[in-house]
Amino acid sequence: MSTSQRTAPGTAGRPDGPGGATGGPGGVGGLVSRLQVDRRLGRMAVLLVVAFSFFAVLDPRVFLSPINLQNIMVASPEIGVLAVAMMLAMLTGGIDLSLVAIANLSAISMSMAFSALAASDPALAEQSAPLLVLLGASVGLLCGAVNGVLVSRVGITPILATLGSMQVFNGLAIVWTGGSVLYGSPAVLTAVGQSTVAGVPVLFLVFLLVAAAVAVVVNRTPVGLKIQLQGANPVAARYSGVDSRSVLTRTYLLTGLLGGIAGVLFLTRNPTASADYGASYVLLVIVIAVLGGTNPNGGFATVAGVVLATLTLQIVASGFTAIRLSSYEYAIAQGVILVAVMVSDTVRWRGRRRGRPPRTDADSATEAAVVT
Amino acid sequence: MSRFRGANNEGVLVLVLVVLVIGMSLANPAFFSVSTLFAVLRSSIVPLVLALGVLIVIISGGIDVSFAAIAVFAAYSTVLLTATDPLGLGIVGAVLCALAIGALLGLVNGVVISRFRLPTLIVTLGTQGIFRGVLLTYVGAAYVANLPGPLAALSTVDIVETTVGGRRVSLTAMVVAPVLLCLLVAWVLRRTMFGRAVYAIGGDPEAARRAGFRVARTQMVVYVVVGMMAAAGGLIFMIMGRSASPQDLVGGELDIIAAVVLGGASIFGGRGSVLGTALGVLLVQVINNSLILAGVPSAWQRTAVGLLLIVGVGVQALAARRSATTVHAHDEEGVPA
Repeated sequence: MSTSQRTAPGTAGRPDGPGGATGGPGGVGGLVSRLQVDRRLGRMAVLLVVAFSFFAVLDPRVFLSPINLQNIMVASPEIGVLAVAMMLAMLTGGIDLSLVAIANLSAISMSMAFSALAASDPALAEQSAPLLVLLGASVGLLCGAVNGVLVSRVGITPILATLGSMQVFNGLAIVWTGGSVLYGSPAVLTAVGQSTVAGVPVLFLVFLLVAAAVAVVVNRTPVGLKIQLQGANPVAARYSGVDSRSVLTRTYLLTGLLGGIAGVLFLTRNPTASADYGASYVLLVIVIAVLGGTNPNGGFATVAGVVLATLTLQIVASGFTAIRLSSYEYAIAQGVILVAVMVSDTVRWRGRRRGRPPRTDADSATEAAVVT
Repeated sequence: MSRFRGANNEGVLVLVLVVLVIGMSLANPAFFSVSTLFAVLRSSIVPLVLALGVLIVIISGGIDVSFAAIAVFAAYSTVLLTATDPLGLGIVGAVLCALAIGALLGLVNGVVISRFRLPTLIVTLGTQGIFRGVLLTYVGAAYVANLPGPLAALSTVDIVETTVGGRRVSLTAMVVAPVLLCLLVAWVLRRTMFGRAVYAIGGDPEAARRAGFRVARTQMVVYVVVGMMAAAGGLIFMIMGRSASPQDLVGGELDIIAAVVLGGASIFGGRGSVLGTALGVLLVQVINNSLILAGVPSAWQRTAVGLLLIVGVGVQALAARRSATTVHAHDEEGVPA
């Protein structure tokens, strides 16, 4: 991928570009970016605590009830897994608008397969739960492969490629279901979705497990390092021998797989599937990823930040319900939080650089000199 | 040949449109008729007005996904205002009111984006939620089944009326709006300093700044203009639908962006034309109409537009990649090992 392809003009360069300064996670630049990420993580943890205590104080009877706390944990996983996937796409400097469509397509395939099986042999259909989960994941992987080919082989910008594939996946789901809501999934899945271990819903544990797995991939494997390099500075990455095609293909395969897993979670939480489920998640998931410290221009993100951001927004959502504010007011809150956090990021960086004029290449050169 | 293709592949779009129309007419003679033409034109009005705003912002190198929220906000508030009518708004007053609201909301986007230089997609995603939330919480959430007098009167005005096979076919006067706006936007983009600035900052903001363009101010104006264009589109939509609902138009943002990109505008900025955008919008509408006439269930429309987008941008991407490889080869020849 060439620079011109991923640098969207008008967004005027990323405010914090450690990749531009030194490149690579090692060295002083790496340390600076590390601190930056840690601070965002710290801020997110503070926000989480603040949001929680705010609503806990405001309406402790409703908000602190075990049912409400469990609801927060049951509602988080499906959004959280999608947000982690969005984070991965953003880590390479891309975006995946098709995630929710993929998740729905995966849930629909599972429900369709179950109903088809149940029509001929109900007992067999009930036993097929593991196979159905596998089916859901493979549908996600397949959709991810489509995105991967479009982005890395054909060379379409991720935002357009996934915009198109979102329409296609969503359209196929509409055609397939005829626009109606499907009912039906193995009782085992629903049972798993409702069970808890020591008071913690199994779904939430699955979410933590998935997040941990992605964190390991990003931070501890060569592929993860390449994904970070590719996002931080694609030119530097190419000169360091990173094959951007294979990195991008793998990234979108992974986001597709996570979308498929989110679809499994959809169906596990609630045995229905439809083409237009979670339409508002596309926005929400980007909001969560950015709040969690993901740099939308690529290179920097933490899974822990995204998990914290997911919980924070779920707490705000359930807190709003507890104090009887509408979902529209929640939409306002989402937007305000997103813009406020992004503005505060820029303002802090500007203060550091003592209100410098619009960013120039000369500036980054001096920065590099200062940093090293 | 290259002259026919045009700067943004407009020629190719014309060719695709012509082939499509001929093909459909051969397959189904009912397609080639005045009523189909009017149906396509009618369904293109609102998308085209909205697309013109999106075109400007995309040329400037940004993207705006909040325009549908702005459109509904401005139009719905205007309808409510005109209905109670404390100020005695006529048609002109109503239109100005909608434009003012649109400009104000656009200004919010513009200030945040240009002042803090934030990614436009994320900012407008955020403001989209805010605009929608504010509209539904504080302005109103009820469906208005009957537009207030002056707006309702406007909805019944036709400019062309003919009789085809005993059936009366008419074209709403609203079709004048997108034509005028197309001419206006084309003039602004090609002939004014503001237009040059939009292309310049879309091409390379840093180069534009050094060339003396005021990048932040231009960006701010761009988002205000998009807000006004969205407001106009929203108002036309509600006038044509003869009703107003705060749930209208939402969710259609990406279809409009797809049409603009199909029309040859580059998502990275600096490239795009009004002609291309108009052709892109027409192409999508013709395909939707053809699918219906060809007996394809309307459920396939989404898939068809998605595929069209992927093929459209895919071809461009492959062409760009090929030319990039050629340049690269020259580079390597020039540089001694």
